[in-house]
Parts: sequence; C-alpha cells; structure tokens
Amino acid sequence: MIPVKEILMPKSVDEVCRLIRDNNGLSKIIAGGTDIIPGFHIESPRFENIERLIDINNVDELKSVSIDNNIITIGSAITFSEIISSQILSEKLPLLVKASKTIGSTQIRNRATLGGNFINNAPCADSVAPLLVYDSEVKIKSFTAERIMKLQDFLVKPYGTRLKPDEIVSQIIVPVPAKSFRGDFYKLGRRRAVSISRISLAILLDVDNGLINQIKIASGAVTPIGTRFYDVELFAKGKNFTDESMKEISIKLGERILQVSGVRWSSEYKIPVVQQVCYQLLKKIERGENLI
Amino acid sequence: MEIRFTLNNNKVTSAIEPNLRLIDLLRDKFNLTGTKEGCSIGECGACTVIMNGKAVNSCLVFAGQCEGAEIITIEGIEKDGKLHPLQENFLKSGAVQCGFCTPGMIMSAYALLMENPTPTEEEIKDAIAGNLCRCTGYKQIIDAVEKSAKEVVR
Ligand code: FES
Ligand code: FES
Repeated sequence: MIPVKEILMPKSVDEVCRLIRDNNGLSKIIAGGTDIIPGFHIESPRFENIERLIDINNVDELKSVSIDNNIITIGSAITFSEIISSQILSEKLPLLVKASKTIGSTQIRNRATLGGNFINNAPCADSVAPLLVYDSEVKIKSFTAERIMKLQDFLVKPYGTRLKPDEIVSQIIVPVPAKSFRGDFYKLGRRRAVSISRISLAILLDVDNGLINQIKIASGAVTPIGTRFYDVELFAKGKNFTDESMKEISIKLGERILQVSGVRWSSEYKIPVVQQVCYQLLKKIERGENLI
Repeated sequence: MEIRFTLNNNKVTSAIEPNLRLIDLLRDKFNLTGTKEGCSIGECGACTVIMNGKAVNSCLVFAGQCEGAEIITIEGIEKDGKLHPLQENFLKSGAVQCGFCTPGMIMSAYALLMENPTPTEEEIKDAIAGNLCRCTGYKQIIDAVEKSAKEVVR
C-alpha cells in the first residue's frame, strides 16, 4: 500500500524550498519516480511514512543545461534521455553521456533524472563515476540559504549524503576538462539492458610527451560508494605512459579498491576484473579508440 | 485530487487518490485494459504507454504527476477502426504469441517511430530493450517493427 496522501507540483525552486522548509520527514521530493515508486512497491523502509510528494518536473530551472566560461550547469531534474540528446553535454562531457546510455531502458531514461541517480547515494549509481572524474560540484538550496560542495564530499556513505531535510540539490556544476584530456567509461552489468552495475569505471587521462601529466580515476558499484582514487592518481603522475605503467596502475587500483571495500565474497572475481577493465581502458586510450 | 489530461486525443478529467499509479488510472478508472502490469517495478515494459511523446513505464508514474500531460495507450493508435501498421505487422509477422508483452512492445515501437521514422535494427533493439517477451524470441518483433517503419508515412 502506497502511503502517499498528497502530490504537489510547484513551479519554482523557491516554492520547492518553501514546501520542504518544514519537512517533518513525511515529505519527499519526487522527479522521475523510478526509484521511489518501486521502493514503495517493495515497502522499502527508505520510503515508509511518506505522505506528501513534491513533484519537481515542472520546475524549468531544474531541467536546463547551460555553459558559461567553460563551466557547465545542469539542472538536477534533467532526465537521462535529455542528457543523451543534449549537444553541449555530448560534446563537453561524453563520459557522462556514455554512462547515461547504459542506464535502465528507454522508458527508464525518459523519466529517471541525474539528481535522482545519486541523491540516495546507492553504490550502483552509474552517473557518479563520470561526475567524479569531472570534479563535479553540487549546488544545494534551502529556503534561506545556498551552498556549493564537491560531489565527493556530498556523498558520505552508502545511502547517506550531506543533504539536510530542508534542502534540495538544484544543480550539478561541472568544469569542462582541458582539451588535452582523453578518457572513457566502462560499465559491467549482468546483461546489456535494464541492468544494475556490478562494476563501473571512469578514467580521464592527460599524457604529455609520453609522460602521464594527470590521470583521474573513479569507480562505481565495486566500492561501497562512488570513489575517486587520488592516491592511485598521484602514484601514476609523471610515469611514462607505457604498457608496464598501465599494468602497475591497474594493479594498484585493485589493491586500493580491496582496501576501501574490504574483502567480500565477490572480491576474488571482482578485483581481477576491475584491474583488467582499468588496463583495457588505458590500452584503448593508448590506441586512440577511446571516447574522447 | 482532480487531474486533467489528454488521453488518446480526448481531454479528460478524473478524481483520483494521490497514491494511484498511472497504470491503475488507465486500467481501473478508464477501463483501458490493453496496458498490462507485469513486474510493477520498471523491468518488463508490459505497462509502457506514451507520455508527452516519450515511452514510459506506467507502473512508475503517479497519476497525480500526469496533470496536463498527453497520454497515448495501445487503444489510441488505431484510426477509424483500422489497426495501426504496427498492430497489423505484429499480427502478420507472428510477433504475438501469448500477447502479454504486445501492447507495451508496440507502444515502445510507436514512440521510436514518432522520433525516428527510419530506425536501424540496432535502434529498434535499443528502443525495445526495456520490453521483455517470454514467447517470441524477439526476431519476429523486430521484423514487424522494421516492416512498419517502411509503411508508416508520416
Ligand atoms: S509492469 Fe511496469 S515495467 Fe513491468
Ligand atoms: S508474446 Fe508472450 S510475452 Fe511476448
């Protein structure tokens, strides 16, 4: 039985913030509903007692994409279909677009939103690894205040973020990476469509004169939450971009993931797979078959 | 709450409980039982309808979110008693066996052809990737969509 007693459809962010100002835990923001409605259906404790839904699909400000001074601002209620058909995003943030294409099915992508993908911080949120390598930030609004923080700081623990009950993530802010970066995204699921990620990996790499100038690596699903690997990035920096260093980086990444995740029943097969995925992505970039 | 929306080209109004899903609205309030409920969690596509020009799972939309929307269901695609080419070709190609997946499958294909009248086989597969069929093995379904794409002059 779905407990909802009221659905409101505000038209502006201010109105949304006013509605959640006195949030007593009985209200919840809904956009695509592709997580919330099945959640109700299976009587997930995450959605117990939700009496009032605040639908944000009619808030234009939360649906727009803009670019200014090489900073892209994406409304949190943009759907994955809208991301895929956005020219700006295809051109400037291809890893995010590629990840979006792997999510659910056409029907799901037509409803599910970017904000909704990471707002509950499920480990398998496919948009997170790309957003992390892009050094994304989130803009958070309440009725009285506004703050901006790095996505990786926002994501605290599985199903936990820094969002307060009276706040909404209104925008995702992404600096366009320098043109010298190459990169790609890979997702491994149990099947090709409508699949939940088992492993996802996003890499951005800047090689200068055969030397790794900078590398950015982030994972999803295989770690408890989407994670950037700064220490592996540091380890790689300045190395020659050779087959040997690619192997070293991949091995290091696997070790690090094992530390972060702890040994699980699946580690024995997942870690070698992640290492292989990392190595193959780097190889792809070396061969120039990468996405960007 | 009361909602107004367009259903198969007719303007309609309905008094609903806020916890009603779009699929319940269609089947229980409007008696449009062509739309099927399989999994209820967005995995099978049997409940697919078109909302504002896009295929959606009607089990994953609240009726209360449909204020002002344009909804098309399997019942809305025939014209003057004549089946839509997709319906014709599904029948002719043997793309219907038990038929449970068929309305959803056709609505996904219909949404595809609205946006892209000349899809490739890959694009067809992608468009119906969220629709499960336990009977036909998909080949006949893809054939039916391909045939229809050639016939639908828009
Ligand atoms: S019943 Fe809606 S997707 Fe299965
Ligand atoms: S015809 Fe039976 S499920 Fe498709």
